[in-house]
Amino acid sequence: MSAVGVVGGGLFGRALAQAAARNGHSVVLYTRGREAPRAFEAEGEAEIFGDERVRTSNQLADLRDAGLIFLAVPSAYLPELAFELGKHLDGRHLLVHVSRGLVGQELLTLTRLLRQRTPCRRVGALAGPLSAAALAEDVPAGAIVGTPFPEVCASVREAIASSSLLLYESADVIGVEVASAMVGLLSLAVGYARGLGVGPAPLALVLTRGMIEGARIGGPLGAQSETFYGLSGMGDLLAAVAGDERPEVALGEALARGQTLDEAVRGVGGHIESVRLAKRVADFARRVGERAPIAGVVAAVLEGELSGEEAIAALMARPGGRE
Amino acid sequence: MTSLFRALSERPLRLPRLTTYVPNPDDPSIFWFNSERRTIVEEVITRVVDAHVVDRATLELTLNDTARHEIARLERAHGSASGETLDAWKSVVRRIARMSDEEKRRAIYDTVARMARDVTGNFDPRVYQMASRAVPILLTGVMRPSRFPASLVRGEPPDLGELLTIQGDVEKLRALQRKGALVYVPTHSSNLDSLVLGHALDRSGLAPVIYGAGKNLFTNPIISFFMHNLGAYRVDRTVRANLYKEVLKTYSSVMIEWGYHSLFFPGGTRSRSGLIENRLKLGLAGSAVEAFSRNQVRGIDRRVFFVPTTINYALVLEAETLVEDWLREEGRSRYIIDDDEFSRVDRWVAFFRKLVGLRGACVLRFGEPLDPFGNSVDDEGRSFTPSGATIDSATYVYRGGRATLDPRRDAAYTRELGEVLVERYRGESVLMATQLVAHILFRRLVANTPGMDLFGRIRLRGEISMDHDELVEAVGRARDALGVLEAAGVVRMSPVLHRSPPEELVARALAAWSGYHRRQAAREQNAVVFIEDPTLLLYYQNRLVPFAERIAPEAELAAAREIGRLNVVGASR
Repeated sequence: MSAVGVVGGGLFGRALAQAAARNGHSVVLYTRGREAPRAFEAEGEAEIFGDERVRTSNQLADLRDAGLIFLAVPSAYLPELAFELGKHLDGRHLLVHVSRGLVGQELLTLTRLLRQRTPCRRVGALAGPLSAAALAEDVPAGAIVGTPFPEVCASVREAIASSSLLLYESADVIGVEVASAMVGLLSLAVGYARGLGVGPAPLALVLTRGMIEGARIGGPLGAQSETFYGLSGMGDLLAAVAGDERPEVALGEALARGQTLDEAVRGVGGHIESVRLAKRVADFARRVGERAPIAGVVAAVLEGELSGEEAIAALMARPGGRE
Repeated sequence: MTSLFRALSERPLRLPRLTTYVPNPDDPSIFWFNSERRTIVEEVITRVVDAHVVDRATLELTLNDTARHEIARLERAHGSASGETLDAWKSVVRRIARMSDEEKRRAIYDTVARMARDVTGNFDPRVYQMASRAVPILLTGVMRPSRFPASLVRGEPPDLGELLTIQGDVEKLRALQRKGALVYVPTHSSNLDSLVLGHALDRSGLAPVIYGAGKNLFTNPIISFFMHNLGAYRVDRTVRANLYKEVLKTYSSVMIEWGYHSLFFPGGTRSRSGLIENRLKLGLAGSAVEAFSRNQVRGIDRRVFFVPTTINYALVLEAETLVEDWLREEGRSRYIIDDDEFSRVDRWVAFFRKLVGLRGACVLRFGEPLDPFGNSVDDEGRSFTPSGATIDSATYVYRGGRATLDPRRDAAYTRELGEVLVERYRGESVLMATQLVAHILFRRLVANTPGMDLFGRIRLRGEISMDHDELVEAVGRARDALGVLEAAGVVRMSPVLHRSPPEELVARALAAWSGYHRRQAAREQNAVVFIEDPTLLLYYQNRLVPFAERIAPEAELAAAREIGRLNVVGASR
């Protein structure tokens, strides 16, 4: 059974390592810095790193022998990291990322970035209503692998699927990535609305229209609109509404309570892609001539330009129209 | 007479052969084609048939689909000698439920065999040698009638250098054609493209290529004779049956697998809009990726290199027909145009007469060659990665430690290669003076008509103008802005656009447009330049669409943005 690589020692990275080890794979977990593995042990993660199948390393070269490599790092670090990692890889390696990020003003999806910065072509994105906790604890969950390459999906399945983790696949990888990013933004809105006590109907309105907005923006990027109504879009968003305790929702709630963005980000810990993404999505929409009022309002709230009441007023003041 | 023409186009002439041509070891691969043709055709038939006789459902589906499309096609083409075949297909449809599996298999085999033989070309080294001399002589004949007899008598190939500029790393291509199969994938704006490319290959010391030529080009017996004997295979675009597409793809794949260099236009047909191709038809590119995989699986390390190439004209022979077709109501544009300028000798003569005065009227640029996975390659054919390391491109078809065949995987590779090609076209396109001048005028038209749609704008003939001096200044500034982009490696300018003073650029463009096209695109009167035919200007300026926003002055930025969006509109057309 071939080795699985994981880049990133955060919650998701560790959960992926754990799931792959549980399926009998030997795992190489790459984390930056020398002290990282010890730090995990201090956090009481001995059950992962006590597993002899998981080896931690701070050398990217150690990932060379892994057939499949998961990338669970913030998208901001990815351009440089991918370039360095690529030096050790060739056409054999399969890469799969789990990020909700899109890079730069052009909203470059991460699989595109990986293709540009590494020699790897067989790449994909793991998305959908899958939390790190569910993956680590092997409780019932579902996810979707976006990739046009059948072997990428097959390898992910072999690495982490189990009787409690159901994996779907989609060839529309760009759709999966953009939908997942959009769900990140809307999850902030879920938390914010909950914090303000917004009722179910206006919340449903904002989220549904938000997803449609995502599909519109996805078009010029090469996404298919159906993907937004599948697991990586609506499916993932339903999990946020149902309360899967994701950090984006917690961040939204903190903002609604009146915390500043910095305080809120510190409070939830971890890295949240959506914070840096909202404004770029709104700007991109303007450039390509698509309407994206909801991304605009989320961006304005994050920038501190709109208060809670103003945000709700701005959203409800829009004229209705044909769906 | 007509029937003789038809006979010739149905079954093109081959020169009788008294002695067998024995290829030299140094001859390009295609010189061996005639001795390998039978085996290649057999291989194509076997592969296509095998893929369609796997089970009864596939058999019936294939037979039904083929019958349905062939009946529809033959009924459209009624009148010609299609009656017999039409009856045969109708009979198949009636009998299909009663046919035994063996009969169905037989029917598929016969159809595939007929299709494969119809497609297959010929290569006659004598015709090749004749053509490589005749094409320049003929071209000069139209362009410089005074020199024509002299060059004919002396038999020396005249110099087309002034007319056609060839750019790119030809040395590298010469090295690579010994390492594997080169697949030229040029942009497509004119039927002249394959002639221009053929001539450019010959002049650059590169081996001739095989290519699929539309059957409509074979209707002229003289062109047909050359096409057929120069390795062109026939593509009948009226045949819509999937089986036929499979035969074409398989033929292309087998040829590349065997090391034949080939050419196809990923844009599918000539760009109707003049836009740089941004949506590609990748069927044949897929056949090249498949060829690479198949060789690897069989342990044959024969490489495949894609050569993105741009063919850039100051003046396009068929511009008017093409752009009118683009602007037709959506869905009504024609896939096959058989009555355009290309088929009319008087248009050719007028066109080449016009080109005489235009030095560097055509720039053909060979782009950086790529492996089938979008990586750059060095002179030795080794692929290199973004970090500059060399890797073995065979690893891309590895699964579990060995090379495998997987059509879905190769289709995904092909789509991604398509994205890379689109990017390369943009970077390797060479902008011409006429295109820039057209862009400045069209941008003014857009700026002066806020809120009007494209169809409103193209009806404004002679209503919008620009002072000559203002136009010259705007052209100069836009050229400077392009210079900055060129230094950053984003665009390329033709030598003429590069060095001529703006005044001359404007004069050149106005001269190029006057006299050849039926309508003048723009005309100068009393130091004012009037926009006479916005449609033609639109066509020529479309080459600059991707860069419009970056070369616009503040005052016309909104207009430039609007022009930039043509890329999206154009894609759906």
